[in-house]
Amino acid sequence: MAPKAGSFLRRRPRRALPLTVVVLLGALLLVGWHWGKLGWGDMHYNYPATPYGYSQIVNRFGQPCNSNASAIWMTWVASDNGYSYTFRFHKKLGGYPTRMVSNKGGTSTNLDNDVHGHIQNYHLSGYTKSGIWGYLCRYIAGTTKWSTHAWGIAVDISSRYEPMGRCYSTTNKYFAYVFKNHGWRWGLDFCDPMHFQYAFGY
Amino acid sequence: MKRTIVAAMGLATAIVATLVFVAPAGRTQPYDPPVVPEMARDTGAGEMLVVVLGPVYPTRAEAEAGNAQMTFGDVAGYYVVPVAQFQGFKEQLGAPGDFALVSVFRTDEGAQEFVAFAQLLGYPATILPDRVRSLGGLYAGLGQEANPDGSGPLTDPIPASVP
Repeated sequence: MAPKAGSFLRRRPRRALPLTVVVLLGALLLVGWHWGKLGWGDMHYNYPATPYGYSQIVNRFGQPCNSNASAIWMTWVASDNGYSYTFRFHKKLGGYPTRMVSNKGGTSTNLDNDVHGHIQNYHLSGYTKSGIWGYLCRYIAGTTKWSTHAWGIAVDISSRYEPMGRCYSTTNKYFAYVFKNHGWRWGLDFCDPMHFQYAFGY
Repeated sequence: MKRTIVAAMGLATAIVATLVFVAPAGRTQPYDPPVVPEMARDTGAGEMLVVVLGPVYPTRAEAEAGNAQMTFGDVAGYYVVPVAQFQGFKEQLGAPGDFALVSVFRTDEGAQEFVAFAQLLGYPATILPDRVRSLGGLYAGLGQEANPDGSGPLTDPIPASVP
């Protein structure tokens, strides 16, 4: 007859002690590695002040479609289809070298290191779904006003699940606070839940 | 006891009165809409343009309905134009029809970026092999591409677009 589970611990508690210590230490190390994520850290380095309105956007980020607006690129994997979306954004919003991001010539750690890093570390990547893009030299639909995408200061995420014109969110709501905590405005404020922009009053 | 009741009623009245006066004031704070310059609707009349072609339809109504089904998020996508708006356009169309969904560009790079974007969304997008001459007419997306010198949007003719 097989010994009952736990009988070893009851019969020889002193022998079990080293094993328990080793298991606990291992667990601690695993948790430490997990949170460390090979050295990822929220750096908050050199963020530009979030602009308000068209004039401040131009003063801070230049003309629409200028070369800095698409200077930095990053890849973001959509959880639903596994597709790696590569998109571009403004050099003031990322591309600064960190342990997670190679030197891409950017001047801050905002989007690619801090926002993306937070979402990964908080296990929120499962909510970032297909249809992810950034810089686009285009007007706002139905107008001849520049979209914030034309400055490379806007990102659309989970576009297939969060259509423009819908005033509630089904998936982006789980990580929107990360963007908000890093100076971004969530488009749900104007019924565009896929949209995040580094600007207010526009 | 009476004093306490009177004091409590007075406090409650004051709170209600404050809410009555303050709440509407909060709702009617002056709204300052952003001042955003409208871009001129550039048709590139007389220029040789690169056309990104979407679906083609027999009527304008069908083309408008088809365009409404293609959501590009907050950024502009295709424009409905009559096929006759561009010289050399009809000859390159693979499908019959008088109205097409297009977006036109002065540079090949601008057209390629738009094609990549449209295809990412799963929408048909093909660059016509030959440039077409704009005869004016409806706005079809010009001005929404980066100037090759990196300074900003391309809003003027370039050597490749001048016949």
